[in-house]
Amino acid sequence: MGQTLFEKIWDSHIVEETQNEPSLIYIDRHLIHEVTSPQAFDGLRMNNRKVRRPDLTIATMDHNVPTTDRSLPILDQTSSIQIKTLEKNCKDFGITLFGMDSPNQGIVHVIGPQLGITLPGATIVCGDSHTSTHGAFGALALGIGTSDVEHVLASQTMWLEKPKPFEIKVKGKRKNPHAVTAKDIILSIIKNIGTGGGNGTVIEYRGEGITDLSMEQRMTICNMSIEAGARAGLIAPDEKTFDYLRGREFTPKNYESLVDTWRDTLHTDSDAKFEKEFTLHIDDIAPQVSWGTNPGMTCDVTESVPSPDEYSKGDTNQKKGAEKALEYMDLKSGTSIMDIKINRVFIGSCTNARLDDLIEASKVIQGNKVSSEVQAMVVPGSQMVKKQAEELGLDKIFIDANFEWRESGCSMCLGMNPDILSPGDRCASTSNRNFEGRQGNGGRTHLVSPVMAAAAAINGHFVDVRELELN
Amino acid sequence: MKGNIIKYARDNIDTDVIIPGQYLKIHDYAELATHAMEGLDPDFHSKVKEGDFILSGKNFGCGSSREHAPIALSHCGIKAVLALSFARIFYRNAVDGAFLLPIEIDQDAYDGIAEGDEIEIDVSANEIKNNTKNQTYKMKPFSEIIGKIIAAGGLFKYKPDLD
Repeated sequence: MGQTLFEKIWDSHIVEETQNEPSLIYIDRHLIHEVTSPQAFDGLRMNNRKVRRPDLTIATMDHNVPTTDRSLPILDQTSSIQIKTLEKNCKDFGITLFGMDSPNQGIVHVIGPQLGITLPGATIVCGDSHTSTHGAFGALALGIGTSDVEHVLASQTMWLEKPKPFEIKVKGKRKNPHAVTAKDIILSIIKNIGTGGGNGTVIEYRGEGITDLSMEQRMTICNMSIEAGARAGLIAPDEKTFDYLRGREFTPKNYESLVDTWRDTLHTDSDAKFEKEFTLHIDDIAPQVSWGTNPGMTCDVTESVPSPDEYSKGDTNQKKGAEKALEYMDLKSGTSIMDIKINRVFIGSCTNARLDDLIEASKVIQGNKVSSEVQAMVVPGSQMVKKQAEELGLDKIFIDANFEWRESGCSMCLGMNPDILSPGDRCASTSNRNFEGRQGNGGRTHLVSPVMAAAAAINGHFVDVRELELN
Repeated sequence: MKGNIIKYARDNIDTDVIIPGQYLKIHDYAELATHAMEGLDPDFHSKVKEGDFILSGKNFGCGSSREHAPIALSHCGIKAVLALSFARIFYRNAVDGAFLLPIEIDQDAYDGIAEGDEIEIDVSANEIKNNTKNQTYKMKPFSEIIGKIIAAGGLFKYKPDLD
C-alpha cells in the first residue's frame, strides 16, 4: 500500500523505533524565541550539556518585543530581561540570533520561510503552537513545549507517538478570490470540524482549492491547523513551493538537486489511506467572522449571531460554552454580524501579516480613512515584510488612512507587549485566537481576513467585502 | 491520590485563560502560580488547595504551546486534571515535566463528579472513587508509553527500553 506524505516524512526521520515505545525522530530545524526557551537553556547549563547542532538552530525575538521605535529602550523590565536572556543564551551556545536590530528579525513563522530555513520534507519544531505554519512547504512542523525544546537542543531529536493522517479536501473555485481568502477557507474548516476535530492527527490539505493558493495563503491555512487541534498541517510541495524558496538567504547550495528529489517523492501516493477525511466545497463560501471565544465559533458575514441552541445542536457543554461566549463578547443572538460595531483593528500575526496580506488589505484602504471611532494598526510579520511593503508604498496608504504602521512582532495577537486591547474593546483581528483575554484582559476579538479587517476599519463595523470592487 | 474537585463545566478551556500571555515573562513559578486560571476564574487562587484536582470538558488546554500552563497549575497544588479530552500539546507538556496527571474520563465521571467532591485516583487500577457520593468510575488508562514516562517522573528521567 502507498504512503501519505506525512508517513513518508515520518519514516525518513526515524532514528529509533521499538515496539511499545515512542519513536525517536530526527529534527532538521529548530526555531527558538525569547519566551519558551529560557528554562530550556537553564536545564542545559544545570546538566552541563551543549546544544548538539547550533547550526540547525535559529533564534529570533518576536513575542514580547515592542513594535514602536526600535531606537528607544524597552520600558517593560521583564520583557527586557527576557530579550537580554535570549541574547546571552545564543552567544553562550553559539546560535544564530536575529535580534531587535537585525533586518531578518520578525515573527518566527514568517522569517523561517522567508529566509529559506523552512524546507520541504524537513522536520521543524519550535516552542510555539503555530509552528504548523511551515507545513505549507510540505514540512512536518510541530509546536512543542519547553521540556521538548530542551530535549531537541540537547539531542536534535524528539520522542513522538505517531499521529494519524487526516485528509482535508478543498474542492471548487472561489468566485471572488480577493474577497474570499485563505483565512475564510480555514475558518470554514474549523467551524465544520470543530476545535478538537483534528486531535491526534496530522492534516494534509489537498485539492484544487489548495493548489490554487499562493505560498503565503497556504501558510495561513496550515497556521491554523492547531486551532482544529491537529498536531500539524501540511500541503504537498509543488512548483510554487520550489519557486518561493529559490535563492533565499539560507536556501541550500545544492537546492536544484534537492528539488529533483522532492518532485519525485514528496506527495501522497494514489493508493495511500487516510484514517480520517473531510471535504469542504468553496464555490460559494462567504467571508467569515468569529462571534465567540474559540475559532470554531464562526459564521458567514451575512449571517446573524447564532443562539446557543442553534450552535450547540443538543450538546450541553457546547451550549454552556456558547452562552458564556455571548456573555463575554457582549453579543445577543440574532444580531446581524454586519451590525456589530468595532473600535479596534489589528492587521498582523503569523497568520496574516505577510506581504500578500498587506497588499490585499491596502487595496481596501486606498483613498479611504479609518472610521473616527476606530483605532487601527498594521504590524508587519517581519522587518523584511515591512521593508518590501514600504518599497511598494503600502506604508503611505495605511498611514494616510490613519492606520498606525509598526515594527514587526507578535504584538496584539497575544498581548505580551504593550499592544493590547483595553477591557470592553472590540477588535477586528487578522490573528488566530479569539480566546477570552487573548488580546488583553476584557478585550473582545473577532477573527477575520486582512481585507475584512481593513473594510471594518473604514466602516466601523463588519461589511461583506464581496460588495467591494477588489482585484 | 486524594483531593477535592474544582469543576469547570465547559469545553475548550484554553491556555490563554489558564495563564494569560502577559504573565509568560515571569520566571518565578510561585509568582506564576498566583495568576493561574486568572483569565477564567479570578477566585481560583484563593480557593485552590494543595492536592486539588480540576475537572473539565473536552479539549482541555487547547491553544498555545506554553508549558507555563501546566506549570502554573501544578505550582498551585493541582495534582491532576480530569477532562473528557485534552489538547495534545498541553497533555504532552504535563507529562514531559511531570507537572500533573492529565486523566481522560468518560461522561459518567464528568456528570457524576461535582464541585468540591472528594475523590481518590488509583492509576494502577484505572479507577476514580468519589468519596463524597460513594461512586466509582473508570478512567481511560494511560498508553503504555505515557505510563512509562509518568512512572519515571518525566521525560528527562525516562530511559526507553530499546532492543
